[in-house]
Amino acid sequence: MLTIDGFKQALRHAQSEIEANKDTLTDLDRAIGDGDHGINMSRGFEAVVAVLDDDYASLGDLSRKVGMTLMSKVGGAAGPLYGSAFVKAAPKFGDATEADFKLVKEALLEASTAIKARGKSEVGQKTMVDVWEPFLSDLSEADDFDAKLDRLVGETEDMIATKGRASYFGENSRGTVDPGALSSSIVLKAIMKEVE
Amino acid sequence: MSDIVELIIVSHSAKIAEGIQDLMKEMAPAVPIHLASGLEDGSIGTDVTRILEAIEAVDKEALILSDIGSATMNAELAVDMYEGDKTIQFYDGPIVESAFVASVSSGNGMDVAQIVEQLKMA
Repeated sequence: MLTIDGFKQALRHAQSEIEANKDTLTDLDRAIGDGDHGINMSRGFEAVVAVLDDDYASLGDLSRKVGMTLMSKVGGAAGPLYGSAFVKAAPKFGDATEADFKLVKEALLEASTAIKARGKSEVGQKTMVDVWEPFLSDLSEADDFDAKLDRLVGETEDMIATKGRASYFGENSRGTVDPGALSSSIVLKAIMKEVE
Repeated sequence: MSDIVELIIVSHSAKIAEGIQDLMKEMAPAVPIHLASGLEDGSIGTDVTRILEAIEAVDKEALILSDIGSATMNAELAVDMYEGDKTIQFYDGPIVESAFVASVSSGNGMDVAQIVEQLKMA
């Protein structure tokens, strides 16, 4: 069950993991982008943690607030992408104060759809979509979430980017893990940990 | 003149946006240009809340133009989020050329739909 406190705990956990991986995210983004993903995600999730002390009536309210905060604080492409993800997941959570595995999966599917729509991206383009969509497509409660996410992140290494800033690197984008895929795995791991 | 189409320039860089504004003032001084560029602290980035603030400052109708990546995504996001009754449209094209065509067309009395048609032909 994902409770409001559990969701808050997941976001705090995501923030500390992003902080721990800030340099890695920035280095990956420097190799195939503009080198600000670590800094942007750190700034965004610090702002998220700052709103977690407030009271929220439902998981939907919390998800919406997290999304709006990320939209206005991240500064790079991750802002509208993660922001839209949490904002679009909010109506699926609705007034619920706790969500079982099925509801969390449904809300995350909404988030994944929002990311694809906002970024106009599909699987195979070496973006965060390569984590979100395959992770959720056949997700079951019995899965080893962390292992599955690690595998999906690893698979972006051999891809050639055809979307986002990395696409300008063409063939040279091969050999580097997609930074958005890595940050997505951090966020999803943190949420799934609280659902177990 | 109150129904003149205004422009909102969304750029990662405040300098790029200011430069476009300077250039357009020479071409079409009567067309109001709003800037939503850079982050609050002046650093490089784009922020949807600044675009929404720019929309609030518009009189009746405006065309939004953006540079790359997150600027484009945030411009589309702002249009999706805007719930008011002004006519706000986003056009995805080269920002300097589009701003040039749009400001001259606006100065010539075209509405947003006509300007977008003009941009598609440019």
